This record gives sequence, structure tokens and C-alpha cells, in this order.
Amino acid sequence: MAEVHVIGQIMGATGFSESSLFCKWGVHTGAAWKLLSGVREGQTQVDTPQIGDMAYWSHPIDLHFATKGLQGWPRLHLQVWSQDSFGRCQLAGYGFCHVPSSPGTHQLDCPTWRPLGSWREQLARAFVGGGPQLLHGDAIYSGADRYRLHTAAGGTVHLELGLLLRHFDRYGVEC
Amino acid sequence: MADTVWSTDTGEAVYRSRDPVRNLRLRVHLQRITSSNYLRYQPAAQPGKDLIDLATFRPQPTASGHRPDEDEEEEVVIGWQEKLFSQFEVDLYQEAACQSPLDHQYRQEILKLEGSDGRKNRRIFTYTDSDRYTNLEEHCQKMTTAASEVPSFLVERMANVRRRRQDRRGMEGGILKSRIVTWEPSEEFVRNSHVINTPLQTMYIMADLGPYGKLGYKKHEHVLCTLKVDSNGVITVKPDFTGLKGPYRIETEGDKQELWTYTLDNVSSLAQPEEEEREQRVFKDLYGRHKEYLSSLVGTDFEMTVPGALRLFVNGEVVSAQGYESDNLYVHFFLELPTTNWSSPAFQQLSGVTQTCATKSLGMDQVAHFSYPFTFEASFLHEDESAEALPAWPVLYCEVLSLDFWQRYRVEGYGAVVLPATPGSHTLTLSTWRPLELGTAELRRFFIGGSLELEDLSYVRIPGTFKGERLSRFGLRTETTGSVTFRLHCLHQSRAFMESSSLRKRMRSVLDRLEGFSQQSSIHNVLEAFRRARRRMREARESLPHDLVSPSGTTVS
Repeated sequence: MAEVHVIGQIMGATGFSESSLFCKWGVHTGAAWKLLSGVREGQTQVDTPQIGDMAYWSHPIDLHFATKGLQGWPRLHLQVWSQDSFGRCQLAGYGFCHVPSSPGTHQLDCPTWRPLGSWREQLARAFVGGGPQLLHGDAIYSGADRYRLHTAAGGTVHLELGLLLRHFDRYGVEC
Repeated sequence: MADTVWSTDTGEAVYRSRDPVRNLRLRVHLQRITSSNYLRYQPAAQPGKDLIDLATFRPQPTASGHRPDEDEEEEVVIGWQEKLFSQFEVDLYQEAACQSPLDHQYRQEILKLEGSDGRKNRRIFTYTDSDRYTNLEEHCQKMTTAASEVPSFLVERMANVRRRRQDRRGMEGGILKSRIVTWEPSEEFVRNSHVINTPLQTMYIMADLGPYGKLGYKKHEHVLCTLKVDSNGVITVKPDFTGLKGPYRIETEGDKQELWTYTLDNVSSLAQPEEEEREQRVFKDLYGRHKEYLSSLVGTDFEMTVPGALRLFVNGEVVSAQGYESDNLYVHFFLELPTTNWSSPAFQQLSGVTQTCATKSLGMDQVAHFSYPFTFEASFLHEDESAEALPAWPVLYCEVLSLDFWQRYRVEGYGAVVLPATPGSHTLTLSTWRPLELGTAELRRFFIGGSLELEDLSYVRIPGTFKGERLSRFGLRTETTGSVTFRLHCLHQSRAFMESSSLRKRMRSVLDRLEGFSQQSSIHNVLEAFRRARRRMREARESLPHDLVSPSGTTVS
């Protein structure tokens, strides 16, 4: 049994055309992994940047995993939403990144995308908001059916993750 | 020499302790250096003569002659928050000037003391946390030489920190859970949360340095030591325990300047060795149980490789593609394992196609975001050590295509990169190119789509069909297009690393370290074969009729 600590934060997001952003996040792992402590999903507050482009969330992530194998290394998936002045939420982007495998601090930039929809939907989105969303959230962190999608590039989410590994050297793993 | 006799450093010292603070014991030793005594003391303080018996300097009955011996020197052991009354307090409370419950309690204690005739202190006394002095001292403390110093807003706020300790209990959890933001913070809430909120307990060790027989005047009181303890077990002592330093000194003001010295020592009783041992045993037991609990959740085993093999895990992402002239890009990529020595599990998918992504402009470039996850697992088994060829590493090929509104597709670029041979995180940017033909082909590509394509993607590096000594691409015209960004997190696993982890050498390549392990694996194979043969022999023996076995068994043994 080897252990992994993931300690870090979701710093914020840049490059989104919408203001007032919030982020839902989750961690997906394989069958050999078990979460010993910490919460594996969460949601940030809504942040409206006053100066500049970046929305800051500084949302903490603190997870402790134990594992029996290397398959299914934790992967982090994100959904960025924007909230308008009427309280309506619309999707701004889906993002994904692997939790790094080497110990230390990692600054990660996670680019996002959103489903594009037909031209009619695009027009509607431009005026009244809304727009298509993924039916199943697992498409964010699996690549299997991605080719069916037509997407548009969104902004970037910035993460800072610290990794602590234990007993991996005991099993001959270099990371 | 003088500075070894007196310690002038009266700065504070910070200690941490996990023990309950009530075990703290302090010994304070106060001594007057009379002027005559002091004069005599000076010449004696020669180098090397520091250790002269103190008896030499015993204060003699001096000319004035009215000081009995015991008044010159006093030593008291004080516990945490132990109240020792001063002469002033004894006088005060005996006259029944009591206002608060605390005053009444003190009066009772003093009367009891008087009855039993046993005040253990004379000059040294204490002010505990609940005394009025402690609050006043905190409030009126001056920091500058200004004639009148007005306490700032923050001082007033901080002054309440200690008093707040009692009312804070029990209400900490409730507020936090019910709501995150307080829209209408109450006065109480503001007072509690705008300044640091670790409650401190304070204690002052004081001395009454009045002339003999005139004890009990406020103006002769001097602070010897200030002790502060917070709930986290941080103990602040100002000044520090004397230890090996010389004693501290106090010069009294007034017409008769007198010199006092005092030492502070930590005499808290240490834990017994067996107690310490027991504590350690308890901790060990606790950690052991926790470990057991964890392994019962997960299991103790870990997936291992076969001996001699190197397992390569790649957790990767197609991050983005940038710098292409068309919109709506997608990336087709695959991993090529070298033909010799490498294998991958059957279920493994070694290729992928991303979604089609409309670009957005970022600076000068048009960027498409994919965030496409993929995972590779492959193993490397170096079976044939004699082979001359340098072991090859897997290669990642990619092809960028664009698909527009009219379903016209164009090849935008080809690229390839050898996977990094070191474990860790790598961000790779593949620059890509596409074949180009002069003439009408480019016009056709622009208007009706479709374009020149490579027949074999492996042509990006060394074609699979290539045989010969020189690879020539002369005649192929290409155009530089954009680039694709991959992020790879590589992991290596091998039994060889377990043995070498003690003498780990980062600089050596993986292959060097795997080398020699194949010999071990051949030994392993021989042993395995031997074991199999033995098992077969035993089975054969058991299947023989019993009467046949026993005589032969006796002869053999």
C-alpha cells in the first residue's frame, strides 16, 4: 500500500469572456485507489473580478489517498460556470488535468472547452445565455467519446498542487 | 568581567511544552548587594575566581546594623498561577476592604495564613491572571518615551482578549456551521474576530524592594519576571531563565540607591523515565493501530512487475493546439512501441482522437483547447542482452486536422516526439509541418478542402518500411504550421529500483540500471525450473504404490 497526499488550491481563472465565475470540481480515481480523508468534490464561491481579468477563488484541495497499484492515478475535472445578475447560471467551460505524479509543488494551467451546439443555439446563447451542456459528466475525464463533440475553446483555470508520496519507492516506483 | 557577573539581556524567551502548564515550577532567588558588600564583591571578580564560595560574601552586619540576615536573601519556588501575597495585600485585605468575590477569597486565605503563621514569602510575591494588576499593566504599558501615550484602538481591542476567554467557550462551533458570511456582525462578533484570538494567561512575579521594615508600599514593587502561556502550550518568559548566565539586577531609585540581584530557574519536575516510556508505548500502539486500520481498508499488497521488467506508466493530456490557420481543429495521436522488447497489456488503447474545437485568439495565436486525457501502460523486458542495438523508447505521433462547416477537412500538420525517458512531469510542445505542393494543389486545398497527406504516418520519423543506411527526404516540400502541447506525467516501476534505491544515482539512465537485472532474471528462471522439476518428482513419488515407496525410502534415507 502506498499513499498520496494532494494538497493545494484552485487559484482562479483567466480568459473567460463571462464575469462572475464559479467552479465545480471533482477527483476521479481508479478502482485500486481509496480516499482515506478529505472531500473529493466541491464548489467554489462566485467571484467577480474588479480589476483585471482573473477571478480568484483560492479554493482548498486536501486529499489523502491510499493505493494498491499505479493504474487509475487521480484525475481532476473542473466545470466553470458563470452567474449573471438574474442569478442564472450558464456553463463557461469544462477542464481536466491529471494530478501530477512527482512529489513537489506544481503550477498547473488547465485549459477549458464547452460544447458549441448548432448556430441557432450559438445565437441564442449570445443573447439570452444558456447553451448545451454535457449529458454525462464523465466525458470530461475520459477520452472515449470525445470525437462526437464540437466544442469552443474557453478560458484557463490555474491550479497549485502539492504532492506528497509515501512508500512508492518500496515498490520500485520512480516518479 | 562585569558582563559575566550581570546579565543585561532581559529579552523574552519562548518555550513550547506538551505538558499541562500546571506542572511549571519556578525558583526565584533574590539577594541584596549592599553598597559595602558590592564594593567588596568587585575586586573578587577576577578571572578564574568566580567560583569562590559564596560564604565569603555573606553580608556582614553593617554599620547601620539593623538588617537581619534573612532579609538580605530570599528564595521561593513558585508554581503556575500560584498566589503569593505581598505585604501590601496582606495589610489591605486584613482591613476587610473587599469588593469582588476574589477579594473575599483572598481575605479568607490571608486570615487562614495568619492563623497558621506561615507565609513562605517575604519580598517576592505574585500577581496571577485574575488579579487587577494584570489587566492594568496590559492596558497602561508604555512603549515610547512620550509624556502621555494614548492607547490606540488596537490596544483596547487586544486588552479584551484575555478577558474574553471565559465567554468564548461553547460558542465556537455554532456560528461557523450555520452560515458562511455574517451580514450584520454584532458588536461582540467584531470584538472577537478583529484581533488575534489566542487567549493568554499571564502571571507576574514581583518583588517588594522597600527598605527593611517598610514593606508594603506600591512604589517599591518591581517586576522580576513575566510569564505568559497560551492554550497551545507556548510559554513566554521575560526575562529568560538565568541558567548559566549571570543573575539579573535591579537598581532601586530614590535617595538610597540599592542594588538587588535575582536569578530565575526552571525547576519543573521532569517526567519519570518509566512514565516517558509508557507514553511512547501508548503512541506506538496508537500509530500501529492506525496503520492496521489503514491496511485493513486498502490491503498491504501492491501491484508489482515481473522480475527484470520495467513498467512505464504515462498519464497524459492533449492540452492545446496553437498557431494553425484554420478553425475547428482536432488531433489524432497514437503511440508506437518499438518492435523489440516492448509490450503492452491487451486492453490498452494506444491511440485517440480529440473533439473538434473552435479556436479562440490568445495573444497572437489562435488556440484550441482539448484537455483530452489518455493513459498508457507499457512494459519493457530486456530479454536479449547480447543485442547490440540501443534500446528504443516509445514514440508519440500526432496529426492535426481541421474540419469546417461544409465538412471539408484539411490536414494541418504532422509531428512526432520520443516519450521522455525520465520519470516526472513533462510539458512537450510538438512543432508540426504539412506537405506542400506547388501549383494548383494549394488553391484546391483552400477552396474545396482535402489536401496532400502522408500515406504512412510513421514517415514523420523513420518509416516502418525503411531499410538502408541513409534516410533521405529530398523532394518532399513542407510548410511549417502550428504546434501541439502535450503534458505527460511519467512513472517507472521496476524491481531493480527496489534494490538500488539505497544507492540511488539519478544521473544514470534507466537502461543502465536495468542492466544486469536480466542476468538475475535468468537465475530466477533456472531456480523456477528447478522448483518445478522437484515438484513433479514429488508428485510422481506420491502416485507410486505405497509398498513400493517405503523400502526405497528407507534405503535412500
